Amino acid sequence: METLKEIISPDFLLRNSVYTSVLVGFACPLVGVFLVLRRLVFMGVALPQISSTGVALALSLPLWLGLKMDAGSEHTEHLLAFAGSSAFTLAAILILAFMERRGRGLPEGRLGAAYVVSAAASILLLSKNRFAEMGWLDLLKGEIITVSNFDLALTGGALAFVLLVLGLFSKELLFVSFDRAMAATLGKNVLFWDALLYLLIGFTVSIAVLSVGPLIAFGFLLVPALTAHIFARNLKVFVLLASVLGGVAAFLGFWIAYAWDLPVGPTDVVLLGLVYALAAAVRGLMQLAAKQR
Amino acid sequence: MNPPIITLDNLAIGYDGQAVLSGISLAIARDSFTALLGANGTGKSTLLKTLLGLQPAVAGQIKMNSTGGPPVFGYVPQAIQFDPLYPLTGFDVALMGVFQRVGPMKFPSRAEKAFVRECLHATAADDFAGRKFSQLSGGQKQRVLIARALATKPDILVLDEPTAGVDVAATRSLLEFISQIHQERNLTVLLVTHDLPLVKKHAQQIIWLHNGAVLHGSVAELFTPERLAAIFEMEVG
Repeated sequence: METLKEIISPDFLLRNSVYTSVLVGFACPLVGVFLVLRRLVFMGVALPQISSTGVALALSLPLWLGLKMDAGSEHTEHLLAFAGSSAFTLAAILILAFMERRGRGLPEGRLGAAYVVSAAASILLLSKNRFAEMGWLDLLKGEIITVSNFDLALTGGALAFVLLVLGLFSKELLFVSFDRAMAATLGKNVLFWDALLYLLIGFTVSIAVLSVGPLIAFGFLLVPALTAHIFARNLKVFVLLASVLGGVAAFLGFWIAYAWDLPVGPTDVVLLGLVYALAAAVRGLMQLAAKQR
Repeated sequence: MNPPIITLDNLAIGYDGQAVLSGISLAIARDSFTALLGANGTGKSTLLKTLLGLQPAVAGQIKMNSTGGPPVFGYVPQAIQFDPLYPLTGFDVALMGVFQRVGPMKFPSRAEKAFVRECLHATAADDFAGRKFSQLSGGQKQRVLIARALATKPDILVLDEPTAGVDVAATRSLLEFISQIHQERNLTVLLVTHDLPLVKKHAQQIIWLHNGAVLHGSVAELFTPERLAAIFEMEVG
């Protein structure tokens, strides 16, 4: 309990990491719900990895161009990484979505290839970059330790924007996801709403990758939504449950990691996995009990 | 007969600029009950999608003659096409019918929700509207989807094989119900189906797609023994 008191104290040294982790935990499942409902889970795996390639490339550019990046240029570095992450993620999601709509080829194959090539490219790019030694490899592995006030504000602002857009247009995004044909007959511009949804997913992924790394971003996108789906009786419950689950798991994961000196990101994901397994087991037992009644 | 609400003028339909059916010229009368018949692959779905504006015509024109803007289609798709992954209740699905009138950044008002409940009541779906849509029977899903279509306040109710996956008793009751709302609300109905006996009982006009030809006429004109024999001889021979 002492550790818990320490973590929630406003003077806690790593408080920004806690806040960032919880923010990502709450926000990622909100778009993860749409990835699950539209059966785009593989896209959820590939996108964070593509996003991290964008980070690696953006951080390599100054080196290739011979620009000087000294220790005081932390904000510039972060903005550069944000730009690389967003550009790669948004471009990738629009291209993948366009190819998906054309309905040709093997979608899983495309996503698998995108995942593995971008993972390899990230490693190659960072292996030749001295900035990698300054913490970016740690980030890409999911270490959430040092988060500046600037990073926290950027993450908070971006995720608040995603939340606002999702909230304002949830009706349209749900409608075109569930029944495109009906939405089109009622005059909805399904291409526009699809594009907006994909952009929101891409934007959230790029923010999450910058804050917690690709593995954890994928974990928060997918696992809370899958767990909440087990018990959701309607869409509102599904979305709220997934988001709360993500936020609470992020906080508990941080607490456990801090108490036992573990890396935060992987602790979060394993915790989410345990909750998912437990939820599936409880659901199975409930169904068994219902059959025997 | 009432004036036409939809007129097809030398229409050609198909995909990627390739016509699968061409030279379609006919009119669907306002407040009529029209059945669109045809075997699989004759172009029924393509014609329906073109009428609904889901895909462009290859050639020709579709004229919509409704007052105050383009007509509203109350589209009832096949219930089996919906992904069971969506945790939506019957009410959630029916509520989508009002989304055209409720613009972006707004949410359905109490009055709109009350209207949706009325539509669910009219389709005798209110008892199961609170249950998950994916867990409803085929006939129950169709009633929810018809309620959703009615919630659009449609000019034309378009039903795409509403009895697919529905048992015989439910099919009969569903068609009785569609006939009833057609008469009570003076609603133009376009029904896509394979079921000839049901068409004979309920429809007034028929559009029959057969071997690249489009036959159009009243039930009395097309369901004569001679015409039916000619049509099925063409199929056999």
